[in-house]
Amino acid sequence: MGFNKNSVEKYFSQLLLLGILLVLVCFLSWKSPFFLTWKNWRNILDTISVQLLLALGMNFVIATGGIDLSQGSNVCLTGIIMAICLKANFSVWSAIVIGILVAAFLGIFNGLIIEKIKITPFIVTLGTSSLYRGLAIIITGGMPIYSFPTAFTFWGKGESTQLNPPIIIACIVLILAVFLMHKTKWGQYSMAIGGNEEALRRVGVNVGFYKVSYYLASALMAGLAGLIITARLNAAEPTAGMGMELDAVTAVVMGGSLMRGGKANISGTFIACLLLGVIKNGLVILSISSYYQQFIIGFLLLSAVVLAEVRQRGQIRF
Amino acid sequence: MSNISKVPVIKVENINKSFGSIHVLRGVNLEVYPGEAVALVGDNGSGKSTLIKILSGTYGPDKGSIYIHNKQIEHLTPKKALAEGIATVYQDLSLDNYRDVIGNIFLGQEITKWGFFLDYPAMEAIAIDLLKKLKINIPDPRVPVGYLSGGQRQGVAIARAVFQGKEIMIFDEPTAAMGVKETATTLKLIHSLTEQGIAVIIVSHNLFQVFDIAHRVCIMKHGRIVKEIPTGDSSPQEVHQSLIGQTGLEDRMEQIYGI
Amino acid sequence: MKKRIIALLLVLALVTVSGVGCGQTQSETPGEAPEVESANTEGSVEQKEELQVNPKVKEAEKVLMSQLEPLPELKKDVKIGALVISLTNPFWVGMKEAYEAAAAELGITVEVFAGSTEGDKQAQLDALDAMVVKDYDAIILSPIEPFNLQPGILRANENGIPIINLGPGVDVASLEERGGYLDGRIAVDFVEQGRKVAEDMLKYMKGSKKVAIIQGIIGAGQSEGRTQGAKEVFEATEGVELVSIQPADWDRNKAYSVAQDLIQAHPDLNGIFACNDVMALAAAEALEAEGKLDEVVIYGVDFTEEAREAIKAGRMSGSIAYPCSVYAKAALILAAKVAEGQKVQPVYAPLEVVNVDNVHEFEGWK
Ligand SMILES: Nc1ncnc2c1ncn2[C@@H]1O[C@H](COP(=O)(O)OP(=O)(O)O)[C@@H](O)[C@H]1O
Ligand SMILES: [Mg+2]
Repeated sequence: MGFNKNSVEKYFSQLLLLGILLVLVCFLSWKSPFFLTWKNWRNILDTISVQLLLALGMNFVIATGGIDLSQGSNVCLTGIIMAICLKANFSVWSAIVIGILVAAFLGIFNGLIIEKIKITPFIVTLGTSSLYRGLAIIITGGMPIYSFPTAFTFWGKGESTQLNPPIIIACIVLILAVFLMHKTKWGQYSMAIGGNEEALRRVGVNVGFYKVSYYLASALMAGLAGLIITARLNAAEPTAGMGMELDAVTAVVMGGSLMRGGKANISGTFIACLLLGVIKNGLVILSISSYYQQFIIGFLLLSAVVLAEVRQRGQIRF
Repeated sequence: MSNISKVPVIKVENINKSFGSIHVLRGVNLEVYPGEAVALVGDNGSGKSTLIKILSGTYGPDKGSIYIHNKQIEHLTPKKALAEGIATVYQDLSLDNYRDVIGNIFLGQEITKWGFFLDYPAMEAIAIDLLKKLKINIPDPRVPVGYLSGGQRQGVAIARAVFQGKEIMIFDEPTAAMGVKETATTLKLIHSLTEQGIAVIIVSHNLFQVFDIAHRVCIMKHGRIVKEIPTGDSSPQEVHQSLIGQTGLEDRMEQIYGI
Repeated sequence: MKKRIIALLLVLALVTVSGVGCGQTQSETPGEAPEVESANTEGSVEQKEELQVNPKVKEAEKVLMSQLEPLPELKKDVKIGALVISLTNPFWVGMKEAYEAAAAELGITVEVFAGSTEGDKQAQLDALDAMVVKDYDAIILSPIEPFNLQPGILRANENGIPIINLGPGVDVASLEERGGYLDGRIAVDFVEQGRKVAEDMLKYMKGSKKVAIIQGIIGAGQSEGRTQGAKEVFEATEGVELVSIQPADWDRNKAYSVAQDLIQAHPDLNGIFACNDVMALAAAEALEAEGKLDEVVIYGVDFTEEAREAIKAGRMSGSIAYPCSVYAKAALILAAKVAEGQKVQPVYAPLEVVNVDNVHEFEGWK
């Protein structure tokens, strides 16, 4: 197995996605003069920032072979907590900190149930998703909370034409995630748990502690996403963030991470988010009804998964 | 066997273990001295792997005590076992197939810079060195372990154990997937470990293979060590006879009628 | 054991957090029209409401009530079940409150149910199935889409419980094909809503006359009807160009992105019609971030509290109002009528266009 072939193999899914992205970018720039403008790209990045944050958090959880279906509800509840704090005249900073702390708490709660009571992550987070969403509905009575100080809405919008806080936050987290996943024990153990949890226990690693920490990370991302959308929309409502966890899973899987864990791919996740953002943007730019959006995303997701699975089966023995 | 001292490096007494209603270990006693190689032989399902997982801290025994250097250890965990210098090559190899050879060798004992930054070059250098020293033929240690052959994978598991192990090394059927040449290399390696004063427990169901390197053969049956035979005063054929005898007609009766 | 205790503590802590949250909102109820609400504290609602009822609401009530003659005899033991779409949408939360207030006024009993979310058709049907086996004299329902409640309606028909359809329509043709029927309807003409909004928008658009429509969930009656009505008007008007129709699933965040993309693709966009206020508000936020709020006329539908404030602040240009309180009352009366065995004709709800110029007339609108 030569070195070159090996690295193509290793980065296959990223390269494939990049290829599709490139074709799409060429096509769209040919079709519309607005597509390649900085403002439009800032737009795309702004739109994907939330999905990217959630997908990055989700990536660590999926690397362990788990899943965090409570992300969307966590986004919602975190935003509502921040909104309530703001309406109670807390300072912007303390509202944000309280919101993020609540998010962290919700993540630890997920992790502890999964680890201590040994129930599968799918069931646990399905349950807590409903629990957190229910709390959000109870707290708000179904009504939106809106209109916040500009010092808060700044976190969702920033100044026009410049880089937005959401983009900056997403970029920082992206770099951090790449570093953590590939260069630290913490990231490596997420994949090792997915690859062979028992082996990791046998070499004396406190697997439980690490597992909880990945659910915490996922929840912290949900907290940041909650901050961004609440600030951006200038409103917190109990339907916010619905389905966002599945968008995150889509990006993670499309990016070449394995759903059963063991292998995670942060850069692939990023490219997948970018691709999804460009598709959504492109449809509007071309004034094509997004009737096609669902179809295209479904098609890409399935192709990515099928391709990854077929390649995996051909190569690794078990 | 002049290098065997009087203090056993590990000693277990009356170990019992059940999984649900299956009583897998029924009062196992065993002691191993520094520089000694003990072979554990017995039929499939006689409890060898279970005993080994108790020694490595993976399972806790239901009853019984474990002493390391004559010091009783309560609640032996994998972490404590490793800290006491016990390294294990598990029968299932305990490898992460998606992880490369280097990552598997260093799993749980990664080398870091400044406490968190994984130092790949350092690990790679050590791994390549180690594999060469152990004569394990893996051309590219950056390949995921899942891509390797069964023998190579056992080699990785052995390399990890050698890197971890200081006092006691346990091998659970280490040569099962190996060819003739690889097996010979591995057995030679195990022999050289005993010469360095390391205590070795080697599980095998092929008595003839381990007879030459073992100082003592323990025969396990139905969760007990039923016979201990020093290899010096015996031939493999003799031991084999007693093994057959133990699993003869009388034994079948016991199995079938519970006599 | 220790694990269980930890889990229990966590649950407790969570409930406590929510409890604290609850306490806060009830006292704060943030963001709701301060002038009106503060004058109108909970205890004295009954008397003050008489004084505060908006004349336009009264008008609407008259229009509706005239369609309901002759009025039924309202006995104390009349018990009506109402099924709304979702209690996560402010409009339906308002509707639930309106039902309860109207029932109190009429001296009858109403119990309000809802599906779990705006997209969960099955959950809404499950709720109806549970209602059908109870002892309601009539059930008022508003389906998520034209077909999802039909099996439940068939069961109600079997059990002899009259069904009133309020707002979003049940597809009557397919219902009748399956052997079912409705006992009464209070219809909102969504196409008419779309038309009215579009006509009003045209009056306020000064620039390029390029418009876009942001739809709700594809296939939802409200969304499709409003889109169709607005499209008709835009396409029939000289000089107006409908550049894009994009769904955003009633979702604020999606609507924000769609509006962002729209303004990139059509920098001279002049008008956005969003099929509800939540999406219109999101579009306003997106355009504000682009610094284009002044150039684009934004209309929604529903006239929620939040939209009212936005229109007053000039962030949104208009919406369509239909008063929940009157609706709910009319629906209950209609239900009581059919429960008595009277035959009824479909009733049409009056619609009012609200815009920056007449928004002041809609104080106290409920
Ligand atoms: N985790 C477990 N759960 C239930 N039964 C087990 C488990 N591990 C081993 N056993 C049972 O214990 C017996 C001994 O197994 P093992 O120690 O693997 O035997 P050996 O290694 O000698 O072949 C077998 O009957 C096996 O089925
Ligand atoms: Mg075994």
